[in-house]
Amino acid sequence: MTTPPPHELDVRPILAQGEEPFGAIMAAIDSLQPGQALRLLAPFRPAPLFNVMANRGFDCADRRRDDGVWEVTFTPQGSGLADVGMAPGSAPGAGFWPDPVLELELIGLEPPEPMVRILEEITALEPGQVLFALLDREPMFLFPELAQRGHEWAGNYAGDGQSYRLMVRAGAKDD
Amino acid sequence: MMALVLSLLLALATGIGPEDFDRPEALAIVHLFALGWLAQVMLGALVQFVPVLAARPLAFSRLALPALLTSSFGTLALAGGFLSLDGYDIARPFFLLGPVALGLSFAMLAVMILSTLITRQTLRLPEVRMVIVALAGLAGLWLSGAAMVSTLTGSRLAVDISQALPLHMLFGIGGFLTFAACGVSYKLFAMFLLAPEAASWQRRAVFALAALMAGLMMTGLVMLAGAGSVAPLLIGVCGISLAGCALYLDDVRRLWRARRRPTPELNMSCSRVALAFLALSVLLLPFAIWQGGALARASVFAALVGWLSTLTLAQMIRITAFLTWIQIFAPLIGRRKVPVVQSLTHPRRAGPALTIWSLSAGIGTLSLATGFHAGFRLALCGLLIAATQILCELVAIRCLSHLAPPERPARLPPLILPSLMNPPHSAENQI
Repeated sequence: MTTPPPHELDVRPILAQGEEPFGAIMAAIDSLQPGQALRLLAPFRPAPLFNVMANRGFDCADRRRDDGVWEVTFTPQGSGLADVGMAPGSAPGAGFWPDPVLELELIGLEPPEPMVRILEEITALEPGQVLFALLDREPMFLFPELAQRGHEWAGNYAGDGQSYRLMVRAGAKDD
Repeated sequence: MMALVLSLLLALATGIGPEDFDRPEALAIVHLFALGWLAQVMLGALVQFVPVLAARPLAFSRLALPALLTSSFGTLALAGGFLSLDGYDIARPFFLLGPVALGLSFAMLAVMILSTLITRQTLRLPEVRMVIVALAGLAGLWLSGAAMVSTLTGSRLAVDISQALPLHMLFGIGGFLTFAACGVSYKLFAMFLLAPEAASWQRRAVFALAALMAGLMMTGLVMLAGAGSVAPLLIGVCGISLAGCALYLDDVRRLWRARRRPTPELNMSCSRVALAFLALSVLLLPFAIWQGGALARASVFAALVGWLSTLTLAQMIRITAFLTWIQIFAPLIGRRKVPVVQSLTHPRRAGPALTIWSLSAGIGTLSLATGFHAGFRLALCGLLIAATQILCELVAIRCLSHLAPPERPARLPPLILPSLMNPPHSAENQI
């Protein structure tokens, strides 16, 4: 791939000075090369920014690092992720993850049971280990919870649209 | 929910009977019910549900609260404004203010919903297109309603009310509320029945018919402005409604048969009653259009109270419990034992209330068709009792009253779902 490496913007110093980082973020977006992603470092999950960026044609993937810093990657739609057919919000590097240590068959379970099973299992995994789950539908309420706990995910619908495939990589243990 | 209870209370208090639906206070109550309860709950549900349909966060989510406040004000102003027809001149300015506020609120909601929904990937889905057609219906509803208000207040812009009224009702009940309910129901039914989600040819056909019907009604609106007769169009709308309703019900039956859950829950068995009312009101539609009078009132009542309200009330209990559970217990999964979603509700309470509601809706429809005054009053009483019961159950769910004390968290969530005002993602820090 010839995609340029993500442009990194750390807004923590700006916020520490008590200033609004919005202008700096927009300036960074405008200076991106075609196909280039923006990696944002913030002291909290910048949820309202996701709408703004979605409207400007960016997908976002967020995770909380071990040091508590939120790392959000905004990838231009139609590049990278979309090529491999992953759902918006999927972690960009999922192709390089190790093989899953656990496979969960969650077809036919009533929501929120699939979410409960995945969160229970991922909590028991070592950091970096991956689980795979097969579901009936996209687990919309699971994604913010995974991000909040520092786990990464990547998922998409199977070709026939009948089931959803999800990989989750465990982040640092939180308790 | 407040508007629902209020409109039922007022209907009982003012002594509305089957023959009184042309009276200004009856018109005020009908609008309180249709706008304050059904339209608000449907728009709220869309704002909540559109991110799930489109699999992306809600756009312009800050508009949600202003839209809710403006539409509540608009509804009250319009309802109050109707009283000016009875000679209360003091209410007259409100009559014009109502449509202005409602238009503003609908525009804000349309911006939120459309800019979330319209992406390349989602436009292919028939249920997404259905929601977009429903918004066109909302626009038609507002235009026809505003034109009638303008006529009644004696301004220069005047239309023939006898032509505009059937169009207005079809836009509201069919073009907006029913289309939106259908679009949302596919996903909800599949989820609650544990049925496969894949789209079917019936779903595409229902969308095509819905789009055609919206087109016909929009043409009607143009003809109204040119003082033409909309009667031929109404015949077309009637035929399309019958065909579309049959296809929709067939599609739901297919979902029902493919379900993985052997015994459907309360919300789904009540939704079946609602679907029966949909069929009834559509079957009454030809008579409503050709004869008007009692059968027209019965058809409208079956649609508003039997179909749309029963569906909403049944799903509302289930969804409130689900979202409350997610809000409180999702962060605790894997860290401590969490209760099941069902333990937040009490089926013995919701079940009888929904049964009373459905029975009263049936009695009400029958009484309107036959002009039976006492039966209609009895139905109103039943509806009020059921609505109060359901309201209490919703409060109990939000307060986690049905949970054993050790399972309850230390701090309870706010009574009103904050997700209605802020989507789940934006409840955090602002950047």
